[in-house]
Amino acid sequence: MVKKISYYWLCQFVGWSAFILAYIFFYLTLRTSEVEDFYKVLFLEAAIGFLVTHLMRYFILRYKYVEKPVNEQVFYILSISIVFAMIYASAATMAEHYLEFGRERDLSLFNKIMRASMGSFTFILIWNLIYFAYHYIVRTRQAQFDKIRLEALVKELELKTIKSHINPHFIFNALNSIRALIDENPNRARTAITELSNILRSSMQSDKLETVPFERELSIVKDYLALEYIRFEERLRIEYEIDEDTLDQPVPPMMLQTLVENAIKHGIGKQVRGGVVKVISGFRDDYHELIVLNSGTLNGINRDGFGLFSTRNRLQLLFGEKAKFEIRQVESGLVEARISIPVELKKGVYDQSHYY
Amino acid sequence: MIKAIIIDDERLARNELKKLLMEFPEIEVVAEAANAGEGIEKIENINPDLVFLDIQMPGKTGFDMLSELDRTPNVIFTTAYDEYALKAFEVNALDYLLKPVEPKRLADAIQKLHLQEDREQGPINPVNVNRSVLSENDQVFVKDGERCWFVRLADIRLFESVGNYAKVYFGPNKPLILKSLNALEERLDEKTFFRANRKHIVNLRLIDKIEPYFNGGLLLELKGGEKIEVSRRQTVKFKEMMSL
Repeated sequence: MVKKISYYWLCQFVGWSAFILAYIFFYLTLRTSEVEDFYKVLFLEAAIGFLVTHLMRYFILRYKYVEKPVNEQVFYILSISIVFAMIYASAATMAEHYLEFGRERDLSLFNKIMRASMGSFTFILIWNLIYFAYHYIVRTRQAQFDKIRLEALVKELELKTIKSHINPHFIFNALNSIRALIDENPNRARTAITELSNILRSSMQSDKLETVPFERELSIVKDYLALEYIRFEERLRIEYEIDEDTLDQPVPPMMLQTLVENAIKHGIGKQVRGGVVKVISGFRDDYHELIVLNSGTLNGINRDGFGLFSTRNRLQLLFGEKAKFEIRQVESGLVEARISIPVELKKGVYDQSHYY
Repeated sequence: MIKAIIIDDERLARNELKKLLMEFPEIEVVAEAANAGEGIEKIENINPDLVFLDIQMPGKTGFDMLSELDRTPNVIFTTAYDEYALKAFEVNALDYLLKPVEPKRLADAIQKLHLQEDREQGPINPVNVNRSVLSENDQVFVKDGERCWFVRLADIRLFESVGNYAKVYFGPNKPLILKSLNALEERLDEKTFFRANRKHIVNLRLIDKIEPYFNGGLLLELKGGEKIEVSRRQTVKFKEMMSL
């Protein structure tokens, strides 16, 4: 930001100095006769021009004209240039009138202003063209940069999909439990295979979709926890607290699943006596909140791991800066991971314009 | 008959392995444990010949459990898929099985055990009259960061005291273990391991040279090139032992 401000001031000074120098150059080389108060008038006009264009920039920023669609911008550039050319001309003419500079002709004040407006329109228009063009380029570059960043992240996630979404350790453990169940409880073994298939299928599809309805994600999480229950048996207690109205909300696929997987891996899997995993989904303020609570202790080491970083990043790319992800120790022996998704924004990776 | 213990936190995984082991009548599963704590207790009480050990368990990992044992039985690791453990197995050439266990791989692992038994001519772990003293053929599990080893005591040249730790010299390695020199001395066979001074226990069978030293002491040069001074008091004892 500091750099942009200084660019603006630099351009203003250079621009208006060039204006002054150009006039002096033409005056000295091409003049046919001495103009009364030439230097005084020139510096006054440059100073007023400086102030008026600065005021104009204030309006442009205030009403965010640079953020409008490009075809509308053409209209704004022209109107702003006309209005401010007149303001500039009036200010300059009146100032000269009252300071009694260069009383050359006895024209009416209105006449003088209109004539001056015609001349200053060109300057103001050039000023605006430069200003809008600069912002257009900066914004296009930013958009391109965001797009590249997103693409890179998607690639990275795709590469890590199997590893970060479905842990191979989980798959093989599940298969091993199922093999043991075939003799012990054939019916449970059959359901377990269905559950495992569902999880594998959705993990393969997940990188193709930006969001899925929460209901779908929840069914994967349920299958996942049912399989983990086979492994952990009485060491794993599973609880759900789901607000039915949240079932249609869009969520990034496999995100809740990853949190639940971590709750098992770092929470339950580390306790000799096991513990509880609780999944909560509800609305709070303007957010859809997804919470995973698990017994365990946050050791701080994994706080900045790839998983947490990419979860946060993915949420913000999908739902904007307001989307949040936090993980913390809520009380001793209880860890909470919380995703907050703003409700009014349903989807759209490229629909971030409101945030500029 | 080979007495085996299965250590795994999942009941179904233990059952599955027991079922697979029914194909091997020479192996008798005498106990099971669901975590490292129980595992240590059962190993110390039962003194098995073989342990099937899961790596990822609540509380302590299988590796941590082994480093707490004074004497480790033969171990076959089991894991579902754990990049870290797999790397450890490969780097350290440890025997492991991937779950779900393939019967063929299990047969190979057991076959390897029999070969080892034949080579050592006798049971894998000869039943010692006094189990509180470690014999030369006992092995210990040593873990140092990512690297780990099963080391036969006969291969250890030197224990060096470093604070609360002891540095173990064998081959080109000298990892640290969390044991005091005094505790080690009590467990080691004094016919093989000799307390040369306050800071060192040397393996008498791996001494290369013996030279006289100041004050009537001795300087021992070990097979690995380490030079260890024998204190004056211990020199007397050392000479007595060697003259036998």
